[in-house]
Amino acid sequence: MKNLYRPIESVIEDIREETANIKTYRFRPKEPITFEAGQFVELTVPGVGEAPFTPSSNPNVTDTMEITIMEVGSVTDALAKMKVGDTVGIRGPYGEGYNLKDFEGRDILIVGGGVGLAPLRSLILALFDDIDKYKRISIRYGARSPADIVYLDLLPDWEKMKNTEVQLTIDEPHPDWTGTVGVVTVLLEDLAFVTTVDVDQLPLDTSNAIACVCGPPIMLKFVNMALLDKGFKPENIYHSMERNMSCGLGKCGHCMLGEYYICKDGPVLTAAQIAKFEDPF
Amino acid sequence: MGRAHDTKQEGWVRMKEVFIGKENLRRLIERWAKDHRVYVPVTFDIMNNEDTPDYELVGDEVPEKLHLAGAALALPAKSFIFYPREVVANYPSSEADADVTAPPTVIVGPRGCDVRGLAKFDKVYWSTAHFTEEYDDPFVIEKRKNTYIVSVDCTAAKETCFCTMVGGEPFAKNGFDVNLSPIDTGFILTVGSEKGETLMAGADDLVADVQQNHTDERERRRNSVKEAIDRQNAEFAVDVAYDKHELEGSADAWAYVTQNCVACGACNRTCPTCTCFLLVDQRAKGGYERSRNWDTCLSIGYARTGGGGNSRPDLPQRLDNRIRCKYEYSRDRYGLVTCTGCGRCIDVCMGRIDMREAVKHIVTEKAKA
Repeated sequence: MKNLYRPIESVIEDIREETANIKTYRFRPKEPITFEAGQFVELTVPGVGEAPFTPSSNPNVTDTMEITIMEVGSVTDALAKMKVGDTVGIRGPYGEGYNLKDFEGRDILIVGGGVGLAPLRSLILALFDDIDKYKRISIRYGARSPADIVYLDLLPDWEKMKNTEVQLTIDEPHPDWTGTVGVVTVLLEDLAFVTTVDVDQLPLDTSNAIACVCGPPIMLKFVNMALLDKGFKPENIYHSMERNMSCGLGKCGHCMLGEYYICKDGPVLTAAQIAKFEDPF
Repeated sequence: MGRAHDTKQEGWVRMKEVFIGKENLRRLIERWAKDHRVYVPVTFDIMNNEDTPDYELVGDEVPEKLHLAGAALALPAKSFIFYPREVVANYPSSEADADVTAPPTVIVGPRGCDVRGLAKFDKVYWSTAHFTEEYDDPFVIEKRKNTYIVSVDCTAAKETCFCTMVGGEPFAKNGFDVNLSPIDTGFILTVGSEKGETLMAGADDLVADVQQNHTDERERRRNSVKEAIDRQNAEFAVDVAYDKHELEGSADAWAYVTQNCVACGACNRTCPTCTCFLLVDQRAKGGYERSRNWDTCLSIGYARTGGGGNSRPDLPQRLDNRIRCKYEYSRDRYGLVTCTGCGRCIDVCMGRIDMREAVKHIVTEKAKA
């Protein structure tokens, strides 16, 4: 029987600096780990411990896996000190992926805040692989300052994709910034599709559109309110829940939210699933 | 085995019942000890309290002071299948991975509340309708498979016992391998499973037929303990059925319940249905080891995430989560109310928080609102 708790050795193949405290790591596991967009893995820094992450790379690439990670605690701080060629452990994937079949033919709104764009990247890349199946993809992203924007070099390529737009905002005015200013909800006030590429610029069809949201809990709370206000259906709003998924197996209890184990039923839950909780985020 | 006295209780498996005398029970335990680790309840003199019962591993001889009376022991039966600390993985070496094997073990002494509590472990650690096989936990399952539960009817209630308030009874109706019902002259021994049958194989010389007066006496004893528990809990009665609770009380109501809590986690550790754990990595020979340790949902770090986020930063939120986990969340997820009414959380609470009072307070305040 395969040991549930034992990670697969994985070598760090590349490290790319995104911001001052966020790096994207490329890992090569000794056994391929396949995942669906939305699922997560447990990453082990040997001797230090584990933490849950959603991969940032394309789920259709199976021999390597990229994860964009911010330094926020013991595991991520220890990881930040590691070098190319060092070995970590990965186990998973865990949880439920997005039901992409259900996304077909619809407008898809992706809302990210800060490093929250990292898990959404694997979804975005999966959507790009089958771009013709979806109506339009709108990516709306907020960061604290221009220096905190992740994937700055990739965003222009995303914008060039068929039927895709990218809108950015930063929290506070900054001398280097001429774009929108304000927290990410300012990008939800007007849902017109404003891509430079020539596609229909009608507003997103909120009664039928899918929204996928990832960011800090306070952002999820306000984005959730804004989206419901705009007419998104609760069952079409997917939130990446921020919980302490420790075992990933629906056993250790740390990620419980009522009767849900976020690691098994999530990590993405719909606004409909969490509607009964007073403050689920 | 002697001519079996068959019973059929409310649709459960047919159980065989025999009579066994006190001396013969000791002989039976001796036989078990030849090829099993056998734990029996024994009274110890702990801190000048002469009759404190605890489990003891049977060595060459069966201990003198077998304690097959009274109410549940302090140690929950879960301790035998879910260790307080256990190495669950070694890495990166693949040769010396954590040992899942479990020696055959007989536990004499769990009570009805303990046996019902084990059902939660089966739900969380073993394939269920919810978890597919790949989520099976071999560490718990191997121990579960190789552990024989010999439960004992309670012959008295602690003042904190309230099993009858939560759908239980002071004896096990099913889920045991062998059950012992103490009567004046010995025990009615009930075989409740195939595993139980293997324990009783070759023991025909030690048992006799059950007589009507034996079963009459058992019913009398069981009813008298049940009535005592009902009586002592009358003051905690609420209008809501135990399996219909929705305890989303106000912040004030939960703050009141929590006022004496110091988040020590003793309730989690003695609870027969607390299944939660923390994984800890450390250096070990040849690399690193990962251990699984009992955890407490009352600690502030329990739900903390990287960067310091915390969905339950305040203690009342955490006690709220613990109590509702027992009454609501387990019910909604597994179809199982996981408070067994054993009263251990009350026994060990240094803040004297009483589960029965807590539930009553929340229900009463809710009704007022």
